[in-house]
Amino acid sequence: MITTTVIIEDPIGLHARPAGQIVKLVKESGLTVHMGKAGQELVMANSPLRMMALKAKTGEQLVIEVDTDDQGVADALFAQIQDFLKG
Amino acid sequence: MALASGTILTGLGVGLNSVRGEVFWVKPQATLPGPAKHAGDVAAEKATLRGAIHHVAAYLDEQSLGAGETSAEIFEALKMLLEDEGLFESAIAEIESGWNAATAFIVAVDSLDEAFAGDAALEERLADLKGLARRVAAHISGIHMGLDLPTTGSYVIVGDDFSPADTAWFTDAVVGLVTLRGGPTSHTAIICRSKSIPALVCCPQAVDLVDGTQVLVDPVGDRVVVGGDASMATKAISFVAKSLDPIIPVRANIGSLEDSIQAATTAANGVGLFRTELLYLSETTMPSVAKQAKSYTEILRAAPEGPIVVRTVDAGSDKPVPFLDLPHGDNPASDLRGFQISKAHRQFLIDQLESIEVARKETGREVWVMAPMIATASEAIEFAQLARSAGEYKVGIMVETPSIAMSIADLAGKLDFISVGTNDLSQYLFAADRMNAGQGALLNPWQPELVRLLKAIASESEKAGITSGVCGEAASDPAFAIVLAGLGFNSVSASSSQVGAVRSALSAVTLEQAHQVAQVALAATTADQCKSAVLDALASLA
Repeated sequence: MITTTVIIEDPIGLHARPAGQIVKLVKESGLTVHMGKAGQELVMANSPLRMMALKAKTGEQLVIEVDTDDQGVADALFAQIQDFLKG
Repeated sequence: MALASGTILTGLGVGLNSVRGEVFWVKPQATLPGPAKHAGDVAAEKATLRGAIHHVAAYLDEQSLGAGETSAEIFEALKMLLEDEGLFESAIAEIESGWNAATAFIVAVDSLDEAFAGDAALEERLADLKGLARRVAAHISGIHMGLDLPTTGSYVIVGDDFSPADTAWFTDAVVGLVTLRGGPTSHTAIICRSKSIPALVCCPQAVDLVDGTQVLVDPVGDRVVVGGDASMATKAISFVAKSLDPIIPVRANIGSLEDSIQAATTAANGVGLFRTELLYLSETTMPSVAKQAKSYTEILRAAPEGPIVVRTVDAGSDKPVPFLDLPHGDNPASDLRGFQISKAHRQFLIDQLESIEVARKETGREVWVMAPMIATASEAIEFAQLARSAGEYKVGIMVETPSIAMSIADLAGKLDFISVGTNDLSQYLFAADRMNAGQGALLNPWQPELVRLLKAIASESEKAGITSGVCGEAASDPAFAIVLAGLGFNSVSASSSQVGAVRSALSAVTLEQAHQVAQVALAATTADQCKSAVLDALASLA
């Protein structure tokens, strides 16, 4: 299990498009990924609606937890997710 | 029975260009069956739901193909939400608890209400998703959803009337539109005008049109010609500008930042009507002064050069604002609305005026503020006092009720300007609800009763030393705009898409000629006669 924290830079927050991009990426990777706000229960990143319901706003931090031991794979995934959250 | 080629159907035209296309009937939508339990076969219900979602997803793919790049992205995002795994899982849980597939999916989508509440962007997506859930349910129940419009070809869609939501499904293949009911100020007409789709509304004879027939929609001629072609189109009078500036300023109507940016690309002299409701319709709690001021600053900054007339919120009737406690009466047009609501929510009005003042100072723009739905002179004076204590702008009111039109003399020295909203003024003058699709003919701006009332308003305003303008839909018609100038109005304000045409018209005549044309309009006794006499008079000038 590898965990990191990303920041939402998109001016509209975690809205439909980045949520969809993340879910698509996660599905393609075949990995089990959980995301959520720090200190709150994380949700499975396989449902854009569930991710949108986090109501994560611009400037907020998101915790990402990926079920793998391969640091390289995890880092690549994190970098892409951070990219989607740039807006 | 098919109508013979050459048959002419009359109605009220919307737009200046004609178009030829094939008739495509849009059937009224059947109502969905209510919530129901299934017979016990959980696996079959799951399969049914999966199939229906797949069907609607395929429909979105098809829409996406025919759409432009921006629209295609929207359809793709919608499809992703429709096929959301989390949503499907919660629908399955509903099926397992006994609901049938259609009910389960709607329940699952509705259960997102709470999680998505309070965020405008999320609520909009949820509203889209609810529309798709209805499609899924309709497919399961074997009900055809009427707006499966063709994506290629050239079609003139025909229907009883269309709602603003329906128009979102219009594809590029929709080149023209005909409605049996609806008037020139209905939402359908306003949207067609802004999308430049030629339309004929209030055309009951269109009931006899048959799918597949080629027709010419000729909005300038207020008609549809069965089998007609472009050569039969009534030419809009082509106004050749004779002077650089129009005889009275032409401003633009806006309602959002997007509109403001769009208006700045036209030759509009400022903004004659900034409808502020849109800023509040998606808010569930009253936004702070800081937040409001930020929105106003952005919009004022983007607006075309010239004064900007901001209308305080006109909530109620067809524009519900969620965080204000609004009544739901039997007759929305006669419910509390506009300034009457602002009185009950005084702090909201004060906050709005203050926010506008902050934005005015921030941008250095010339701002005028006006209140909607004023019924009496005392209301007008009350608003003027409130506004003058909140900021340094010109203060005015909308004239949309016949009652205030009778009291303009009492406003001398109290107000800087008035602006006539012809859409509402017509509905209250003729006792013809704008939302009642059957009342379209009375809402025709060429009705002599309206023209005469407009004359009185312009004259009374001039005597009282009050600047007068018109910002209703009627001002978007170039010929009618000339009549308005001739009646004595000091400015007109039109949809951005019409600013150029209205400006050309008002640059093609002298004020003296406009007065003559107005006299022709005032002498008419029916709407048809009024319009044709004015067009004849204008043609003889050209």
